[in-house]
Amino acid sequence: MKPTGLWVALLLGAVRLGAQGVVIAPHAVFIDARTRSGAVLLYNPNTEPVEVAISFFFGYPATDSVVRTVEHPDSTSPSAASWIQAFPRRLTVPPLERQTIRLLASPPPGLADGEYWARLVISAKGGQLPVTGAADTARVKVGLTLEVRTIIGVFYRKGAVHTGVTLSGLRTAVVGDSLAVWARLTQQGNAAYIGSARAVLVDSAGKTVSEIKVPIGVYYAMEPRYALPIGALAPGRYRLRLDLSTGREDLAPELVLSSPPVRDSAEVRVP
Amino acid sequence: MRTRWYTLALTVVVATPVFGQRPIAVTGVQSLSFGTLLPGVPTVVSRTDAAKSGQFMIQGPHGTQGQLTFTLPSVLTGPGGATLALTFGGSDAGYSQSQNIGSQIGFDPRQAFVVTFSQQGSGSVFLGGTARPAPTQRAGAYTATITLNLATFP
Repeated sequence: MKPTGLWVALLLGAVRLGAQGVVIAPHAVFIDARTRSGAVLLYNPNTEPVEVAISFFFGYPATDSVVRTVEHPDSTSPSAASWIQAFPRRLTVPPLERQTIRLLASPPPGLADGEYWARLVISAKGGQLPVTGAADTARVKVGLTLEVRTIIGVFYRKGAVHTGVTLSGLRTAVVGDSLAVWARLTQQGNAAYIGSARAVLVDSAGKTVSEIKVPIGVYYAMEPRYALPIGALAPGRYRLRLDLSTGREDLAPELVLSSPPVRDSAEVRVP
Repeated sequence: MRTRWYTLALTVVVATPVFGQRPIAVTGVQSLSFGTLLPGVPTVVSRTDAAKSGQFMIQGPHGTQGQLTFTLPSVLTGPGGATLALTFGGSDAGYSQSQNIGSQIGFDPRQAFVVTFSQQGSGSVFLGGTARPAPTQRAGAYTATITLNLATFP
């Protein structure tokens, strides 16, 4: 199916395909200790009602590809999963309508200043999708139901919060038509480091030959791997520069904790 | 056409108290379908099969990343608790940033897969699999649920 057809099906003609799911905004929730509340908007763009269930767990990005789930966080973990509640927790969003989920934090007394994390799970399930191709005379019939779950970050901030990151162990390797870049990032302060990583490869004349910019979230320590497309790079010496900053285009500036940029570089030799 | 409808939908969503932040969505479009099963005969559905593959659409802020994970059943449950085996291989899932079923990057649906949302902020996920009815498979209707999880990386 062509892209146009898919999007039209999602946004208007979902009946034909029986699409199910909700659009969620924002994609990260920040709760201030002074208000102790937040909100998430759900919108059902389809023509069938969607059943939604809300839940929480404690987790965080542990690498650049895995969100680590902690089912039983210990007392030292900055988990807010057990004391943030959603209202309502179960609901049905009618077609083409929106519904607001209110989040209310009830932190334990004496909670230290800092940032506390949870992951909000929005599970959406529509009616069973039609099973195409199953003849009535089939001896064995199969019906698979689809469920979709969207998991977003929730950040509770109390008192003075600050963040930072250290960068060490920068190294590179040419892998096929890419330059693989590794570095060890360690979170500082009492809040997650939410920002962006920008990797630039320059030649001996200082000309940029490849560049990528990706969002990062450093909750403890991690060693992400980035890949810069380099194609058939001419032999010679190059320099890889890695910059970390707290700028994020997808988050409102007032939600991002600022921190001084962190930089490092490494020489790259292409034989 | 595509851009107009997309813009319309996003306008509806962002004109709210949470104005200023971008929406995210994962939508089930089409269920994985195996058609008629014959006892003892495995049935394979390719992720590139437009009519039978499972299909999802995802949407997120441009430039951000999301982690896709499937929760996959190993069996379907039928009459009297009878089960029917369902298996997924290392390349049974695919992702298309252009939302074109003919242009996918294959991945293992049993492992996490990270996507970066494009300028348009959307993409499609496809899923194939293999149903393996036993030679003595009991007749009837068998059901199970496939779950696609999309976790954001703020």
